[in-house]
Amino acid sequence: MSFIVLIAAGLLVPIFYKNNIVIAKLIAVIAFIMAAYFIFAGQSLGSLFPYFVADDATRLMEFVLLVTLAAVSLALTGFERPLIAQMLFLAGASVAFLETNNFFIYIVLFEVIAIISYILVANIRNFYNAEGAIKAFIAGAVASGIILLGFALFSFSTDSFDYASMNIAGKYTLIAVAIMLAGIFYKLTVVPMHGWAADAYSQVNHAAAAILSGVIKSVVLFATFKAFYKFLVAYPLATVLIFSFFAILTMTLANFMALWQKRVSKILAYSSIAHSGYALIPFAAAASVYSYAGVLYYAVAYIFMQTSVFLILNDLRRELGVKYLEDIKGLYKKAPLHSFIFTIQLFSLAGIPLLAGFLSKAVAFYAGVDAGLWWVVLIALLNSALAVGYYVWIIKHIYFDEPKGNEVIQMSTGSLIGQLILLAGTLYFGIVAGDIFNATISF
Amino acid sequence: MVAVDIIFAPIVFSALVYFLTRGAQHLTKYIALGWFVVLFIIALNWYHQLPVDGGFLFLGNFLSVPQFGFELTLQIDALSVAMLLLTAALLILVVLTSWNEKKQAAYFSLLIMFSGPIFGVFMTTNVLWFFMFWELTLVPMLFLVGIWGAEERIYAAIKFFIYTHVFAMFMFVGFYLLYKQTGYWDLTLIKETALATPALIWWLMFLGFAAKLPVFPFHTWLPDAHVQAPSSISVLLAGVLLKMGAYGLIRFTVELMPITTLEFAKYMLIFGLITTFFAGMLAIYEKHIKKMVAYSSISHMGLVVVAISTMTYDGLSAALFEMIGHALVISPLFLIAGWLHHKTHTWYMDEMGGIMKKAPYAAAIFILAGMAALGLPGTMGFVGELTIIVSAVKAYGWWIAIIALAGMISAGYIIWAVRRAIHGPMSPIVEKADFSMSFAERLALAIYAVLIVYFGINPQPIFDLANQAFSFLGGM
Repeated sequence: MSFIVLIAAGLLVPIFYKNNIVIAKLIAVIAFIMAAYFIFAGQSLGSLFPYFVADDATRLMEFVLLVTLAAVSLALTGFERPLIAQMLFLAGASVAFLETNNFFIYIVLFEVIAIISYILVANIRNFYNAEGAIKAFIAGAVASGIILLGFALFSFSTDSFDYASMNIAGKYTLIAVAIMLAGIFYKLTVVPMHGWAADAYSQVNHAAAAILSGVIKSVVLFATFKAFYKFLVAYPLATVLIFSFFAILTMTLANFMALWQKRVSKILAYSSIAHSGYALIPFAAAASVYSYAGVLYYAVAYIFMQTSVFLILNDLRRELGVKYLEDIKGLYKKAPLHSFIFTIQLFSLAGIPLLAGFLSKAVAFYAGVDAGLWWVVLIALLNSALAVGYYVWIIKHIYFDEPKGNEVIQMSTGSLIGQLILLAGTLYFGIVAGDIFNATISF
Repeated sequence: MVAVDIIFAPIVFSALVYFLTRGAQHLTKYIALGWFVVLFIIALNWYHQLPVDGGFLFLGNFLSVPQFGFELTLQIDALSVAMLLLTAALLILVVLTSWNEKKQAAYFSLLIMFSGPIFGVFMTTNVLWFFMFWELTLVPMLFLVGIWGAEERIYAAIKFFIYTHVFAMFMFVGFYLLYKQTGYWDLTLIKETALATPALIWWLMFLGFAAKLPVFPFHTWLPDAHVQAPSSISVLLAGVLLKMGAYGLIRFTVELMPITTLEFAKYMLIFGLITTFFAGMLAIYEKHIKKMVAYSSISHMGLVVVAISTMTYDGLSAALFEMIGHALVISPLFLIAGWLHHKTHTWYMDEMGGIMKKAPYAAAIFILAGMAALGLPGTMGFVGELTIIVSAVKAYGWWIAIIALAGMISAGYIIWAVRRAIHGPMSPIVEKADFSMSFAERLALAIYAVLIVYFGINPQPIFDLANQAFSFLGGM
């Protein structure tokens, strides 16, 4: 039901673009709320179609996804109105993507989400937007090709695409999965498949970047773990080697790249890439009972923080023309509320306690320790500690430096409500871990 | 419920206090003062409720997640209460000494926020929550140093933040392994004998605490942070944040892993001795008055490590006494050093001189605290250093009496500093400067002086607490 509501609303919304954006926003939010209600009431896609099953963890992830997208749609302004319909379609596709238990449908919906993301970034207003959009498109197309290659190879050796009854002992399974992972790593922006993301995230419209780097990545992360769980457990050595290697490579390289960026959006883009590295640790530790909780927690926490920082940057870009670090000097005087929320979310990204960023890392990394990978976890923790360098560097510009101009901006009501929703998520999941563990208990 | 409220209320309401009192900046300090007095009274109340035979006073369990053992368990023993009383007292005095600070709403809101996690660190026995509070104390400190500090404040604040954060990560891996190998996050339930790799865990945790204390090779953040911080915040850094390291060392090594600690005590001793002498030498060399005080602070924390490494009842009691004594002694030194800079606009002792004639009150307190730092009988410093030397000699034999040399080194730098800055011919800078001091600052300094002398003559109350805290080691 939620799927149908979201798609229908997505078709309905564009009618109101021209005349009244408030109605369009309202319809979107109502659609998100209704979809969340249907998920809450247990009416998943599985009740209508085969190949879809929603467990508690999936439902929680969908719920968080819908809340985040509702917050984003509230925070948008007139310029970004095409995003509203795209977000509704994205939500519909994501709900299906998260619920599916069939590998074939996983691949198909992966493509659907990829195509929606191309349309998202196609909101082009200048040369930089265009460059980012083209890079996202070409990298996405390459990724699709690679995934299909792997999938074709894989389909030789299995007679079922059901997650639970796939034949994974085939001759080509390992190589096929490796090729598919190479494609998926494009979407998860794992180094060395990250090159497009650093440009795309920082150059496309920041609201689109929020969805691209926050929402889509979290969804792909969680769904991929579900889809590949059986492989990860069946090939423990390959799992540990591949994911530990790419986790360490990704976080280290991205953190060092982020340290010497001057564009705020680029720092956030590299921070997003680094977070993909941290998120791979529970993949490497799939053998641990905490891995599912770790991935879910990471996806949930990450969606709130990353979306929020890019949305604030979007506001700042529009109102103050913020591009470089110099532009946010003394921001606390110009935009006290933006600065306050931005700082909290940055601390969350940095992994400061009582915020979701810390607890999600604590659980995800514990999965690594539980699987015996304590040295990988140590490297990840040191990386996240060094990453504080660039987060604090942004905060330093906001609070410790004096402003140049003296214009003062206010946060619009919609933006404020949206940000408060995201902030509430960050704070709630920073203190209360019970929901995550209760949701994953059955896995 | 009081227990959990006094941790979370300040964190949540500090932002509210800031936004409400932004229009009336002078109000915030009264709110802060009132809150810290309440904290002190609550801590005092817990002191009277402590079980007489040692052991923990249980305050409650919150936010339980049984699948992850994640639970905010609040229980306190005499050691925690000693730290809580010290923290609350120092916070009150810090409000007094920063009575005329700039941007008061933000400053005192951050202080209020700081009081939450720092109480949490000393109150919880859950290792994960301990770590969370431990990390959270860094956030208000980052802003307090970074906004109100001296010229190099931004460098110092960020270095302090990243340095201690990075070393905390080693500690966190140690905590992870504790949980992995025992299945408990709770300190009181973890059994050392259940650990598979105690040595690895011990070293990982030791690194985290050593950087906080700080112990010799990991100390480089401290001179920067303490010097650049505003004086009142230096007091908090030296008086409370360094104590977190010593507290953690006692809790997590001596109490939690006595067998492994016994094995590695000799390394701890070596680290402590090197720290004491190295920092003392640096203090002699230093011309910068606040850096001199900062190095003397490191030197005294080295003595605390030596005392902890003995792992005896005497040693730990001496360590607790020296922790409290160090906090009370070093604070007026920091305050007056910062105050002198504020008035004379120079950091260097060579350019001062003759302050006694212009500002006799501050100079007298500086001399008193300095004498306490070098261990003059009748002050807290004497009792602390004497008990440390006695306990170390008992534990390691007569040769350890060389740490008495540390007292001589501190005599060297303190007396020389007094000679250069306080006495001597009056320098032109001092001649021009205006040495007025507010009543609140005078009051705070007087309280420090009274406490230093009172506990120097009558150390029994602190040793009573130590008796309760370390009764598991046999007692006297």
